[in-house]
Amino acid sequence: MHTLLEILIGGIANSSLYAVMAIGLALVYGISKVFNWAYGSFFTWGAYIAWFLCVGSFQFGYTIAFIVVIPVMFLLGLSVEKIIIRPLRRQKGWEINTMMATLGLALFLDSLARLCFGPYMKSLPLFLEKNIQLGSFVIGLHEIIMFLTSIIMIILLEVFLQKTWTGMCMRAVSQDKIGARMVGIPANKMFGYAFGMSASFVGIAGILLSPKYFITPGGGWDVLIKSYVIIAFGGVGSMKGTLYGAFILGIMESFIVYQFGSMWVMIFWFTTLLGTLIIRPKGLLGTWE
Amino acid sequence: MDLRGKSCKITWLEKFIWGRVKIMLEVQKIDVFYGEIQILKEVSLRVNNGEFVVLLGPNGHGKSTLLKTICGLHPVESGNINFCGSSIIGLSPQKIVASGLIYVAEDRHLFPEMTVMENLKLGAYNFRARDKIDESFDFVFQLFPRLGERKKQLASTLSGGESQMLALGRGIMSCAKFMAIDEPSLGLSPLLRADVFEKITLINKNGIGILLVEQNIERVAAFSDRVYLMEDGKIVFAGTADDALKNKHLKEVLLGIS
Repeated sequence: MHTLLEILIGGIANSSLYAVMAIGLALVYGISKVFNWAYGSFFTWGAYIAWFLCVGSFQFGYTIAFIVVIPVMFLLGLSVEKIIIRPLRRQKGWEINTMMATLGLALFLDSLARLCFGPYMKSLPLFLEKNIQLGSFVIGLHEIIMFLTSIIMIILLEVFLQKTWTGMCMRAVSQDKIGARMVGIPANKMFGYAFGMSASFVGIAGILLSPKYFITPGGGWDVLIKSYVIIAFGGVGSMKGTLYGAFILGIMESFIVYQFGSMWVMIFWFTTLLGTLIIRPKGLLGTWE
Repeated sequence: MDLRGKSCKITWLEKFIWGRVKIMLEVQKIDVFYGEIQILKEVSLRVNNGEFVVLLGPNGHGKSTLLKTICGLHPVESGNINFCGSSIIGLSPQKIVASGLIYVAEDRHLFPEMTVMENLKLGAYNFRARDKIDESFDFVFQLFPRLGERKKQLASTLSGGESQMLALGRGIMSCAKFMAIDEPSLGLSPLLRADVFEKITLINKNGIGILLVEQNIERVAAFSDRVYLMEDGKIVFAGTADDALKNKHLKEVLLGIS
C-alpha cells in the first residue's frame, strides 16, 4: 500500500512536469504551426545552464538558476524564430522547411552541448533534500516543488492567454492567422513570443526533472517524443486534453517502471496512443484545426 | 444616428488637416500579380472623404485582390496607393490598420473559438482604438442589437447574418476612418442583405469612407456616391450609379440583360 502511494505520488510529480513540457510544445505548434524538433535540445540546454550555474563553475542556488534560465531560454526561442524560422516562412513549402531547420538546429545544439559539457552524464542536486512525513509515508519535498511549480506555470499561462492582450492575440493568431493580421495583430511577433515561451517552459521542466534523471547531450529526444505522444494522445488543439493525457500517461509510467522496468515505458505509451487513435483519431479531447 | 461625437473623437487638428485632404484613398495605376499571372492591370481608383464608393464586376476579375492589396495583405508590383495623403505601399497590415484603414473580408475570418465580445475586443487591438474601446462597443451594439444579445456566444456558432454583423462590428472597433468591405451580402437572405446595406450606409453617415465590393448594382445603386466597374483586372467604368445604369454594356454585365 505504501509503495503504491509512493509510486502514485512520484507519478503525479512527473506528470505535472510532463504536462508543462507537452503544453509548451502544443503552444508553439498551435500558434506558429511549426513543429519544433529542437524542443528536446532546449530542455537539455535549460538543464545544462542550471548545472553550470549550480554545480559547475559557480555554486549558486536553484533560485538563481530559475532567474537566469527563464529569460535566457525565452531569448533563445525568440532568436530561433526570428533568425531561422521567419525567413523560411516567406517561401513556399515552409512547413517542411522549418521542420528540417529545427531538426538541424537540434543536432547542432546537442553537439554544442557535448562540446561544452562533455559526453558524460551530469546531475543536478535535488531542490531540497528534505522529506515530509505524512502519517506513515514520506514524500520528497522536491516532488512537491515539481508539482506546485508546474501547476503555477499552467495557471499563469491560462490567465495570460485568457486575460492579457498579448495572450488573446496569440490565441487569435492560432485560430485565424489572416483574421489576426486583418485586425492589425503583428503575427510574426506572436510567433516569436510563442517560441520564446515554449522554450522557457521546457527549460524549467529541464531544471526540475534533471535531479531525478541525468542530463546528457542527447537526452532531449526522449522529452520531445514524450511531449509529442502526450499531445497526440490528449488531443491536438485541446489544453485540457494535453493535461489529462500527461497525467494519465505519467502515472501509468510510474507503475510500469515499478512493475516492468523503464525500458517498457515507451512501448506501453505507444500502444496506448495507437489504441486511442484507432478508436478516436482526434485523441481524447482533440479538435480538428 | 450620429454617434461620431461619441466614438473615435477626431481632434480639431485632424479635422483641419482632413478638411484639406479631400482624397481619402487613391490607388494609382497599380499592377498586381499572383506569381506569373497579372491580376490587376494599371488599376486606378479614388475614394474621397466620407464617400460611399462601390466596386462592381463579375466574379474572379480582381475585385477581392484589389481590396487585399489596399490593405497590405498582398504585394504591389508597380504603382502607388495613397491613404490620407501618404503612401501605404509596402506597409504591414498592422501599420495600415493603425493609420485608419480596415478591411472586412469576404470570408470574414472571425476567430471561431472566441466569443463575440472577444472578437470585438481584438478588433480594437491597435493603440488608437484602445482608449475608445467602450465607446466603440456602444456604437457596435447600437448598430447591431443582435450581437448584444449574443455577447458570450462563440463566433463559430453564429448564423451567416450574425457573423457578417460581427465582421463589420470588428471593423468598426478599430476606429477606422475607412472601411474596405468585400461582398458582405454573400450567402445572405434578401432581407438580411437589405439590413446589411442599411447598416453600412449608417456607418458611412458617421463619416467613415466606404469602398464596397459587390456584384449586383441594383442593390447598391440607392446608397452609393460613385461606382467603378472592373473587368479582367482593369477599371472599365467610373461614374455615378445612375450613369452606370444608363450605359448599355454595363447593364449587360451587371444585370445580365442582353
